[in-house]
Amino acid sequence: MSGGPNRVERMLNLLACLLDTRRPLTRDELVVQVAGYPPEAVAYRRAFERDKETLRAMGVPLVVETMPSGEQGYRVPPDEYFLPDLGLTAEETAALHVAVSAVLLGDQTGNGALMKLGGTSDASITPIGTLPLEPALPVLFEAFRRRAPVTFEYRGEPRTVEPWGLSARRGRWYLVGFDRAREAMRTFRVDRLGDDLAVGEPDSFVVPDGFSPDASLDAEPWQYGEDPPVTARLLVDAGYGSEAAARADRVVEERADGSIVLDFEVVNRPAFRSFVLGLADHAEILEPESLRADLVTWVTSIAGQERKP
Amino acid sequence: MSRPLAEHELSRILALVPWIVAHPGRPKAEVADRFGISVAQLESDLDLVLMIGVPPYSPAEYIDVDAEGDTVTIRLADYFRRPLRLDPAEGLALLATGRALLAVPGSDPRGPLATALEKLEAALELPDLVVAIDAPEHLDVVRAAADHDERLEIDYWSAGRDELTTRRIDPTAVFFALGEWYVDAWCHRAGGERLFRVDRIRAVRPTGERFEASVGAIGPGEVYRPRAEDPRVTLSLPASAAWVAESYPAETVEETPDGRLRIRLAVSEPAWLARLLLRVGPDARVEEPADLRTVSADTAARIAERYRSARAGAAEAPS
Repeated sequence: MSGGPNRVERMLNLLACLLDTRRPLTRDELVVQVAGYPPEAVAYRRAFERDKETLRAMGVPLVVETMPSGEQGYRVPPDEYFLPDLGLTAEETAALHVAVSAVLLGDQTGNGALMKLGGTSDASITPIGTLPLEPALPVLFEAFRRRAPVTFEYRGEPRTVEPWGLSARRGRWYLVGFDRAREAMRTFRVDRLGDDLAVGEPDSFVVPDGFSPDASLDAEPWQYGEDPPVTARLLVDAGYGSEAAARADRVVEERADGSIVLDFEVVNRPAFRSFVLGLADHAEILEPESLRADLVTWVTSIAGQERKP
Repeated sequence: MSRPLAEHELSRILALVPWIVAHPGRPKAEVADRFGISVAQLESDLDLVLMIGVPPYSPAEYIDVDAEGDTVTIRLADYFRRPLRLDPAEGLALLATGRALLAVPGSDPRGPLATALEKLEAALELPDLVVAIDAPEHLDVVRAAADHDERLEIDYWSAGRDELTTRRIDPTAVFFALGEWYVDAWCHRAGGERLFRVDRIRAVRPTGERFEASVGAIGPGEVYRPRAEDPRVTLSLPASAAWVAESYPAETVEETPDGRLRIRLAVSEPAWLARLLLRVGPDARVEEPADLRTVSADTAARIAERYRSARAGAAEAPS
């Protein structure tokens, strides 16, 4: 469009109208009142749709009501639009700036957030780390915030979960929540949720007092599962024991040669086996016989591949 | 995630108008700097703002922008007096990065970052987002050495080669990525820049020497990327091993007609590959290169031998 207002100007005027009005305005009223809409019906309808889409994509709370005339009326309630005054001091805003610059969430910069907080001085900050940004994460965050249940497919099965906690540990995000069908707490890796989540009604549940996602997250992969519980005893060679010991439930014995015997409470045998295999031939399952035999069978069949044609 | 241009401009203007309203008479240069734009861009934005008004469009309904000189003041912009609320991605970015930075050892648990997050959480009605950052044993010593350009001697367990070596390193940067702490350092033993996992440093000794500081090439963003010179390995895995593609940066993933997955990865060390294949199990195969086809079978044989000889030893011991 040459001459006349550009699209940004038109949208700013549209938004100003929608915020300022006391009653909902219809599309026909808006395209006449706001400069920049083309005169032909087909064109202005399409332009209006595009503008609504853009405002919604930005998170503007555009409310639609049916008017007495039967037409759709639009407005943006200011109290839903406005970011409340957070009462942040200059130091606090600067500290947030450092955080979003020093820690990279995926490949985003969190810049949009800083702009809404009043911008920032452009001191250059060395990144100190990254956290992954999974597609499901912003959706889960919003559901978590609004106390809405989420439904998703997990390993081929549909699950409905009340998000009670959202946490990051060892570079992965975890959803800790109440699985409604199983009536029990479960933990899910957010990177396994895909991006197709349905969010239910807000304020649908209450998180019990004293719930702490931290406690759930201290658990190791072999502590999540439904296998009959068993205590596994592992011998780890000298030089390899300290990482394993940090993840064990108990240190049973520290031997003279520097090796160490550890106990693990296991409800997920494949996860425990994976952990032990990570130590290759520097560790040995001592007990129970069933886990030991299972591992021997596993590695024997892999070793047997050498002889395959 | 790049946004369309119109959205980007709109967002910027909707953020800077409320700030100018709240801070009348500030220098344009200050405002431009705050919002990461040039003074020319700011003036262009302000020209646009002048055109904003509401019905009945008398002069009193247009935003009043006074930007003649070096300063800027905005009046009569009641409907834009506050910025747009944070969207979920923005709220998440502030809380997640803030909590992560607070979890880094040495952060002040009661400093401005902590109080800022509390205010944000109260305003967004959000309970804690928990970010845990584990601190390996020698993290503090290594960070201090990197800060002061001090050379260290380390005993380092190389997971790839499964060996313990002693090295003198000049640490340049310490950061976390993929859930682990890394130190980017010049390694005298290797004669080049290397990335070390801090949790694999078994012992640290100061050397008393200092080195000339330089900027390393490896930062947290680069930890994801395999090096060009790492050999590429093609694996054939059962469908149940899809987690491999989720957990490691696979270059290509395809389903083969027999329902299996073919994955191509950069692999710098055979021992790492062997451990990965052990975890996948007997149905994993290396297609290429030929000289890595028996790597997991070899390691599996060593493990099986350990159990066999332990059993044999136990059988001989007096009961």
